[in-house]
Amino acid sequence: MRAAALALLISAGVAGAIAGQADVKARLAGRLPPAVVGAVQQLVDSAVAKGLPGEPLVEKAIEGSAKRVEPARLLSAVRAVLGRLTDAWTALRAAGVLTPNRDAIETGAFALNAGLSAEQLRTLAAHTQAPHSLAATLRVAATLAALGVPANDAVRLVRDEIAAGRSPGDVLDLPRRVQMGMAGGASAAQAAGFARGTAQAPPEPPRGPPSSQGRPHKP
Amino acid sequence: MVKSHHPLVRQLLDGELSLSELPPELRAEGDVALRWLAGVDRTPVVLSAAVEELVMAQVRRHARSPARRGWRWLLGPRELDIRLRVRPWVLGAVAAGAAALLVTLPRGVPRGVREVASTHPPVYVRFVLYAPGAGRVAVAGTFNQWDADAGPLAPTHTPGLWTATLPLLPGQHQYVFLVDGQRWVTDPAAPTVDDGFGRRNSVVAVSAQGGGGRAL
Repeated sequence: MRAAALALLISAGVAGAIAGQADVKARLAGRLPPAVVGAVQQLVDSAVAKGLPGEPLVEKAIEGSAKRVEPARLLSAVRAVLGRLTDAWTALRAAGVLTPNRDAIETGAFALNAGLSAEQLRTLAAHTQAPHSLAATLRVAATLAALGVPANDAVRLVRDEIAAGRSPGDVLDLPRRVQMGMAGGASAAQAAGFARGTAQAPPEPPRGPPSSQGRPHKP
Repeated sequence: MVKSHHPLVRQLLDGELSLSELPPELRAEGDVALRWLAGVDRTPVVLSAAVEELVMAQVRRHARSPARRGWRWLLGPRELDIRLRVRPWVLGAVAAGAAALLVTLPRGVPRGVREVASTHPPVYVRFVLYAPGAGRVAVAGTFNQWDADAGPLAPTHTPGLWTATLPLLPGQHQYVFLVDGQRWVTDPAAPTVDDGFGRRNSVVAVSAQGGGGRAL
């Protein structure tokens, strides 16, 4: 009886994996040449076999198709995404997160793309504790880095806010506070300094002439 | 009457130049344009409770589908601690079962990897681009499978200003504006990351924190 149940379970798993393959091919068919679709499929299979999410690879391929990127460059970008997912998974495991979930892995890869290092991912993972979620912590630090805040400053800012007992909402609000400062003319690093410890009372944007980095950002 | 900006100032607004790269005589104009653009309201849109309830009813209808739940259960990662003592005939049964299931599975129904419905409600995010002279503007990104046709921006009463409000699920999303079907333009008011193809993608992070959700 147990053997039959096991057989059914494995059958369902095998069928699901095969159907997943068909799904990837169906989504890419017509967008990319068959050879490229096959190559992407192999990369997705490789990711899934390692326990990594395959969706970011499919999304990158679709993005490349929409932007009419040549196949070689498209595949290179998809491989780079797989590399970042692998690095993120490794970094989170090294920080003691034994089974990082899909959201954390994807956000970790996004953070690496935004300029954080694997070591900084480990630092953030090690300092994240309830009620903060690992994915949200990584997302905030990555968004800060994408805004132009030096990666070290971004990690330190998020880590210090958590250590200071700020609520998850306050930590999630950090990018908005930094953008407010930047909209007022501060550099990203300066704005990150203004945002430090101002969860309850966001500072007024600084007045005066904008710096050379004075591009507007979302408030 | 709307003032027409110098082409270099337009490039600044498109995110292709920084203020310091402008000739000195254009920096004042560029500064004013940037400050005007920075003042655009990009906060998430608060819709009436009736609209939210309507959307949530649709989301719940999808989320409660037993077929979708079952599919997600099948594809979701699980940790199993299994000790196998398999009789050879079981392997044959596995192969036969897999073949039978594959044949009977409905084709084209599951999207597979990405969850279709989320337990969190979508957050409405307003996209704005100042693109004077453009005849068509769209936003394409991870939230619409990079399909520009799925994200058209509409011109506002302010000439040159285009906007669209889209429901996004919590998470980080990457996007780019497509102007006149040809020119990919990053959002000058959003953080950006390398797109892997030699250009940049804009980033919006949406959080479900705090009930209804908000954009970062």
